[in-house]
Amino acid sequence: MKPLLRIIRLLIRADRRAIAIGLLLSIVVLAMGAALLGLSGWFITASAAAGMAGLGTLFNFFAPSAMVRFLALGRTAARYGERLTTHDAVLRALGALRLRLLRGLLAQPYRATERLRAASVLNRVTADVDALDGALLRLVLPGLAGAAVIVLAAALVGWLVHPLVGAWVGAGYLLGPNLVFLAGQHRARRPSREAEAALQATRNRLVEMITAREDLTVYGQIPAARSRTLEAGARHGAARTRLDRIERRTGFALDLIGGGVTAGALGLGARLAEAGQITPAAAAISVFVALALAEAIAPIRRALTEIGRMAQAARRVEPALALPAAARSTTQLEPRPALHLEALGYAPRPGAPSLFAPLSATIAPGKTVALTGASGLGKSTVLLMAAGALTPSSGRVTLGGTDVATLAPETLHHTLVMVPQRHALIAGTIAENLRLAAPEASETELWQALEATCLADTIRARGGLEARLGPRGAGLSGGQARRLALARALLRRPAVLLLDEPTEGLDADTAARVLAGMRAALPEAAILIAAHRKVERDVATRMLQLRHSPA
Amino acid sequence: MARASTPQGHLTAPSRTGALLSLTAALVWPAQAALIAAVFAGLLSGAPTISPLIAAAGFFTLAALRAGLEAAAQRKLARAAEAVIATARHQIVQTESHAASSSSLGNAGALAALATDKLEALRPYLLRYRPARLRSMVMPLVILAIALWYGWAVAVVLLLAGPLIPLFMALVGWAAKEASARQMVEIGQLSDLLIDRLAALSDLRLIGAGPAAIEGFHAASESLRHRTMAVLRIAFLSSTVLELFSALGVAMVAVWVGFALLGEVGWGTWGTPLSPFGGMFLLLLAPEFFQPLRDLAAAWHDKAGAEAVLAELADYEAEDRPGLPGHDLPATGQPPAGPIAWRGLVARRGGVLIRYPDAVIAPGARIAITGPSGAGKTTLLRLLAGLDLPAEGTLHVGATALSEAHLPDWRAGLGWMPQAPHFLDRSLRQNIGFGRPLPETVLDQAQLGPVIAALPKGLNTVLGERGAGLSGGEARRVTLARALAAGQRVLLADEPTADLDPDTAAAVTAGLLDFAAAGGTLILATHDPALIARVDQVIALGPEEATP
Repeated sequence: MKPLLRIIRLLIRADRRAIAIGLLLSIVVLAMGAALLGLSGWFITASAAAGMAGLGTLFNFFAPSAMVRFLALGRTAARYGERLTTHDAVLRALGALRLRLLRGLLAQPYRATERLRAASVLNRVTADVDALDGALLRLVLPGLAGAAVIVLAAALVGWLVHPLVGAWVGAGYLLGPNLVFLAGQHRARRPSREAEAALQATRNRLVEMITAREDLTVYGQIPAARSRTLEAGARHGAARTRLDRIERRTGFALDLIGGGVTAGALGLGARLAEAGQITPAAAAISVFVALALAEAIAPIRRALTEIGRMAQAARRVEPALALPAAARSTTQLEPRPALHLEALGYAPRPGAPSLFAPLSATIAPGKTVALTGASGLGKSTVLLMAAGALTPSSGRVTLGGTDVATLAPETLHHTLVMVPQRHALIAGTIAENLRLAAPEASETELWQALEATCLADTIRARGGLEARLGPRGAGLSGGQARRLALARALLRRPAVLLLDEPTEGLDADTAARVLAGMRAALPEAAILIAAHRKVERDVATRMLQLRHSPA
Repeated sequence: MARASTPQGHLTAPSRTGALLSLTAALVWPAQAALIAAVFAGLLSGAPTISPLIAAAGFFTLAALRAGLEAAAQRKLARAAEAVIATARHQIVQTESHAASSSSLGNAGALAALATDKLEALRPYLLRYRPARLRSMVMPLVILAIALWYGWAVAVVLLLAGPLIPLFMALVGWAAKEASARQMVEIGQLSDLLIDRLAALSDLRLIGAGPAAIEGFHAASESLRHRTMAVLRIAFLSSTVLELFSALGVAMVAVWVGFALLGEVGWGTWGTPLSPFGGMFLLLLAPEFFQPLRDLAAAWHDKAGAEAVLAELADYEAEDRPGLPGHDLPATGQPPAGPIAWRGLVARRGGVLIRYPDAVIAPGARIAITGPSGAGKTTLLRLLAGLDLPAEGTLHVGATALSEAHLPDWRAGLGWMPQAPHFLDRSLRQNIGFGRPLPETVLDQAQLGPVIAALPKGLNTVLGERGAGLSGGEARRVTLARALAAGQRVLLADEPTADLDPDTAAAVTAGLLDFAAAGGTLILATHDPALIARVDQVIALGPEEATP
């Protein structure tokens, strides 16, 4: 529960004023609803009493009937305002939560963010964030507003009608629903967690079965894959059934509480009225208010089935929200530092031997070095260590003499840029994708970068810089996306450029022209290429061979 | 495709009982209202007819009855909903497990979304909307009838406040639909935007674009909020009209009843003055006239969502998708053996017929299928794996003509290395052996040792779709290990050495040749001269083999 409370605090902090107004209006709406029914009940009973006593003409009916109309109209207006303010506040909070998540993840170790590329992880993170969306609208605001109105109404009933009746209404509506909530949320937690996990499993297993369908068919694994998928689906169904039952029983208990409190108010009111301690009209107030307050406890039912899911989501999301405590050193770099790899080694697990023999090299400004070696040996790992994304298990990487591990990310990436194998494009225009790297770049500069990577003609044919790409850059071929990612790296004008198999998916001729164009655009940059093809080795001024560990 | 009963068909029978129970629960309220009214009428007359204790007990009993009926209704409805969802999900999984083509509805992700999240959208519709609709059709009429019994004034007020219910309903629908549809779209966009940025985050940080991407997300989410609020301001306004009518309706009833009881107004009844019982009873019933309509409006976006899902399901079921050859046929445990041979073999790929030269492949032979791209190398391997059936001619294995019925046995001894293999989101061990014991020799033959050593949990590392990251060369070795683990007799490999660095290519070649040396039949589609030089027999396909 603690992570959920911390996230709720974060959501509230997104805009305290909007949430406070939303809460206030929620209270007003509920209070006016209770007042409207209570007043109407009193008005009718009092009118009837006056009418029967023949005192109809003496009865001041203008004030109460005007009040009834005012409450009816005011409640509607307050409801409109409440909906608008709470939705605005919630949208702000949702944006803030997602933003905080992105910031937090960006500060996490590289390996942790890398896992987000897996669809299953990504689905879980976004499903978790979505689950937290309901925390304010369905948990916090109705809970606080409901409790406030119950206390307020009970106090008023105690004052206007009789302390005993007020105590009954207040105690009944505060204690009962709270007990139901506590018992129910404890029970709902597990099935709600299981339902979510099973739903994710169903989705992942179905995706797997569909994409690998032919391979699984040849290997005779379809029946196994199918029953795994159906099993996850059935597990979800069973958990949902349990949740439905809990929700149903909660609803039943809440209905009984509403019925019980009203019945009590009716019995107590009638007895006090018979004894002459209160008027029948006063007794009517308590009965009608008790009826109206059922509205205040209704949201518990829905909240119960969601709170388990929210608590689980919060537990997983919260660690990712942590921001780094202190900035790293403020060391500045010379404009064109050389990149030094000093006896680098990398062990996949603590204590394991390094994947490759210690690697040392200097990549000077203006030079291109090709890193070669068998696939799987760790060329990408070397580049990631050079980019400061992974920590070497032995040796170190320095830029102009400064260990990259000690540099602030902004300083480091001002000088050094790495283009990984995968092209990280986003939904948006070509210009938006390019300007991720250089927000200030002019259109001319964007076109120059596209020319350097032989992509300008393609982009022009597609409608220029404002052409839109789908999610993850959908709409470009693999080779085009690759060149767009390379163009984006050029826009940062880095002094050190790390390229991981940069010409994958390009034909040899285009590959050669792209590599030449990039060198021409950055004549003084130190370039390290994890080379895979001959054309990449051909542009190098020097080869750097990655070798197996002697062990 | 075997057609189970459609989800639409399921929407009627079992959930109707639930909706009826829910209506019965709502019908208890007039009795509760009458009890309260009787208690107060008694109090006002000074001669109470019902003792306070009996009144309280009676009211509570009725409330418990109502709650019990509602719970029973929910129970029926929940069961019906679960049945509908389970049936539809089962059908999707079943169809997808053997379909030979992909659905026109979208990729695997879209279908998985349909089978999970979208089907879940049917649940609130079945649980809430349908009973609310039944109540909204019956309860207002019942209350109107009671109001007419006492006089015309309250009936007119109710009719005016809900001007000709159908019109009112249209307003409700329009208001709520607008609000929910637009809001769902906008919030969905925020999720899509987040997924997009999260997936790119690790790579964006390497070019130092992380902060810029986050700034962009912030701007996009703010503008989304402004647009959403502009829509909601209008949408909520329309649903406020509904609330206004119902609040004014109740207030007008209260005021009229009050005045009538005071004796200030003499009109509105059928002659006899309104009794205190009648007045109190009418006031208690008035909110219930509007409540079903408000419930219906609240459930409206459930309906909009469910209808979209039902339409998509109908489209899905209407698709005519052939199954993969030999799916769900039993294996006899007696695999066909002997030379693989074909004569006059023709395959259909798209609209093109590919004619293959006749061939006989002896057990244990090493065969290379060569030819320019588009000549039909991959298609021939697919015929051999039974993924496609020949358009003409038959494949023979020994004396057996391979028909669909033989495919399960035939595949049982087959190793398969497609160009683009798919891995499961499970451990490396599961990906290679599919749960069967994994002989050490298989890992050695595929030279997987270094790959396994580099993974954080070795063979037990779970391969994410792309996240944990196998490079192209590593993936090829895993595919080889998988083929070696399964294929005892025949191994089919499509371009096994393409796009590999020399070391890996040599490793894969050695693994394949080891398999042949142990007596397996090796059939390769390749244009790698180094590999072609090591085979016993070449089946050369020319471009002329493909004829339209």
